[in-house]
Amino acid sequence: MKQFISWRHPARLLPFRRDDRMLLIVMGIIVGISSGLAALGLNISLVFMLETLHHWRHHWWAFLLPAAGAMLSSLFLEKAMNEGAGHGVPEVIYSVSRYGGLMRFRSSISRLVASCLTIGSGGSAGPEAPVVMSGAAIGSNIAKLFYLNDRQRVTLVGCGAAGAIAAIFNAPLTGIIFTMEIILGEWSMVNIIPIAVAAVSGAEISRLLRGNSIAFESSGSFHIGSVDLVACLGLALVASMTSLILTRMLRRMHGVSSRVSVPKWVRAAMGGAAVGLLGFLVPDVLGEGYHAIHAMIQGNFTTGLTIAAIACLAKILATSLTLGWGGSGGIFAPCLVIGSFAGLAYHRLLVFFMPSVTWVNEGCFALLGMAGMISGILQAPLTGIFLILEITGSYEVMLALIIVSALSTTITHYFEPASFYLKDLTERGQLLRPGTDARVLADMTIREVLEKDCISVPPDMLLREFLHVVKRSTRNYFPVEDPDTGYFLGMVRFDHVRPYIFNTVMYDAVLVEQIMDADVETVHYDDELADVLHKMDATRCYSLPVVSNHRFVGMVSKATLLDKYRDELKVQTTQRM
Amino acid sequence: METTLFHVFRNTPLGREIFMQSLYFCRGINASIVVYIPEHTKFLMYFDNDVVQVDLDESYRTAPATAKAHALELAREAELDPRFVRPKNFTASTLPDLPVDFDFMCCPRSVSDLSSKISLGHIGPKVRRIINAARFPVLIPSCLFKEWQSILVFFGGSVNAVKALKLGLRLGRETGKPVDLFTQADGMPKESFEEILVNRGMDEEVSQRVRTWHFFETGSFEHNLYSVPHNALTVMGAYGHGLVRDMLFGSTMETIQTHLPNTMLIAGPNYVMPR
Repeated sequence: MKQFISWRHPARLLPFRRDDRMLLIVMGIIVGISSGLAALGLNISLVFMLETLHHWRHHWWAFLLPAAGAMLSSLFLEKAMNEGAGHGVPEVIYSVSRYGGLMRFRSSISRLVASCLTIGSGGSAGPEAPVVMSGAAIGSNIAKLFYLNDRQRVTLVGCGAAGAIAAIFNAPLTGIIFTMEIILGEWSMVNIIPIAVAAVSGAEISRLLRGNSIAFESSGSFHIGSVDLVACLGLALVASMTSLILTRMLRRMHGVSSRVSVPKWVRAAMGGAAVGLLGFLVPDVLGEGYHAIHAMIQGNFTTGLTIAAIACLAKILATSLTLGWGGSGGIFAPCLVIGSFAGLAYHRLLVFFMPSVTWVNEGCFALLGMAGMISGILQAPLTGIFLILEITGSYEVMLALIIVSALSTTITHYFEPASFYLKDLTERGQLLRPGTDARVLADMTIREVLEKDCISVPPDMLLREFLHVVKRSTRNYFPVEDPDTGYFLGMVRFDHVRPYIFNTVMYDAVLVEQIMDADVETVHYDDELADVLHKMDATRCYSLPVVSNHRFVGMVSKATLLDKYRDELKVQTTQRM
Repeated sequence: METTLFHVFRNTPLGREIFMQSLYFCRGINASIVVYIPEHTKFLMYFDNDVVQVDLDESYRTAPATAKAHALELAREAELDPRFVRPKNFTASTLPDLPVDFDFMCCPRSVSDLSSKISLGHIGPKVRRIINAARFPVLIPSCLFKEWQSILVFFGGSVNAVKALKLGLRLGRETGKPVDLFTQADGMPKESFEEILVNRGMDEEVSQRVRTWHFFETGSFEHNLYSVPHNALTVMGAYGHGLVRDMLFGSTMETIQTHLPNTMLIAGPNYVMPR
């Protein structure tokens, strides 16, 4: 029995008690393989759905396919799984920020099925965010099963995300960087190794079952000249503007759809039908759209500048209609498609205006456009660079990739300070990255800093008696309580007594209630410490009484808070070593 | 430190009975009541090692306009000043996160099924998960409000039973109501149970505070449950054994909750006794 308990609590086993890195590596392999399998499962299901529905696409009623898919996806999430729609990455970041990576088990499968229905039927969304959510939930639940602590759980959530991204793109480096840059928001040695192992496990399982192939291989190598590098500056601007349009359009669509007072599944069906109709005009907007990327990178996308620009705008609209109206999926794949259209259109514009210049192959600009778009919308330049390098295998464009990604991130950041994934969390004040002021304060509670050694006094106490109390107290604050009800009436500070100390005549003339501050600011011990500090700053107080149910509970002071703050900061920063 | 009980208010006659049980419990132990009036039919509770999504049945959203007034009215009748909790954090826009730092929580036998399904022998899966994950004991009231006159602790000698006994003794101290013990011996002599109490340093307090120790060496457990007073608050520990039985508590608790209509206070495996 004891041995069984040990296996449920592996962190208590002797080899892992002093240093849990080996435990996390072993767990990372398990999580990486599991999330990799989940990602492959979705991939295979998507291929099956797209091939099955392909024969029906030429019918006039084919626009109803995305509608049906989005509707079923919404119904599945709402009725069967009891979850809200969306791409889910912010939920992973939120759980990591606030709850040590705790996630529901149902999240391991809900988004996989829902996004399969949406994308497989033709909705414009990507499978990457759902697999990240699924992988992260798998990691979280494995950590829960083995009773791992918060830090270890967060690492396994990262392992799940990395394994999923590595498996779906066959890109282990991107998995690691995406996780560190976006999901965890910190680069710590203790996390990197298990996450790297998980990413390798995810990629290996993908290679084992799907073969080792590069997702969007180019037909030849790209030779970038100095003119192309200069042109990259303009491409970065185009990519960042496109990512801004997509970000705002998605948010606008959310706003518009929420004002339509119909059930969510009807709303999703409306969005899906609109995408289906758009698909009649521009078929490339349907589904993930990876075939279009293939064609562009290979240089086989033969339509002209206008069509490329229209396709870019149509894909933005289709993605906003799909995700903004209740379909399920992520923005990764649409970003790649939109970015490649934008890059292609920009290239053709350059060729149109400067036909005598020898430009690099248009596939290269499509590829750079993808990097710019990903970097812009996620504000994660490293993810953009490494993703494109790994999924295209075009390492010769590294310099141009760095320029486009870095500039696109910078320009987008100027207009949108938070990335698409973090915008909602930032606005709600729920983005709590480790080691930051907000996170340290959020991890502490008033109960932990409560000082209970104050001496309470009744309101009818004479100053003479009160001074005796002052003499034996170590504090400068004295709560005044009603002797019958125990209710808090006010506070006497030592400053209030000072004018009377040297006037002994007043000792038997002044009552505590005459000198107390009855209008004192109070806090409740459910208040967040950030709010308490704001209140202290606003009232210029160094201590505030904590009152609950009309009763004085204790004092919270800046000095104690700072002590505890340092302890908590030490814990958070030591964990990152 | 203030003791708090968390209650999810249901604005229906059944909800009123359950709320009155909570209020009575709070008055008895001099605790404050924290009330949540649901704005959505689901919420999340993030515990130390689990996150529980509670999907409330639709009756929890009955007449939301009058819910607060009804809760206030009942609380004031009980001379209590309730604090209404409004979620600050949301995992999704319709999925609020509720705090879990309470000392007790009141749950009916089921929060996700329709009231018509609530009966003996049915404790909903969400309530089970809350009991299993929470650091606080869960009060499962009887369907009709009834003042309890004594506290009966089921004591089987396990670690969780000892925690339940400590909880029962604490309630006895705070309410001034008599405490009884109930033990189904299962072939073990009474001395071995007494030894457990001695080892835990509880023998003296038990001998002082416990009014009657119902110790059954014979007879079936179900049959012996008849000796539990109809107006007693029953206190018991619940525990998980492994992967499967983590979800299905020990058989003793199953039997008790199937046969007893009394209000129950259940301390789960993660219950931490306040210092």
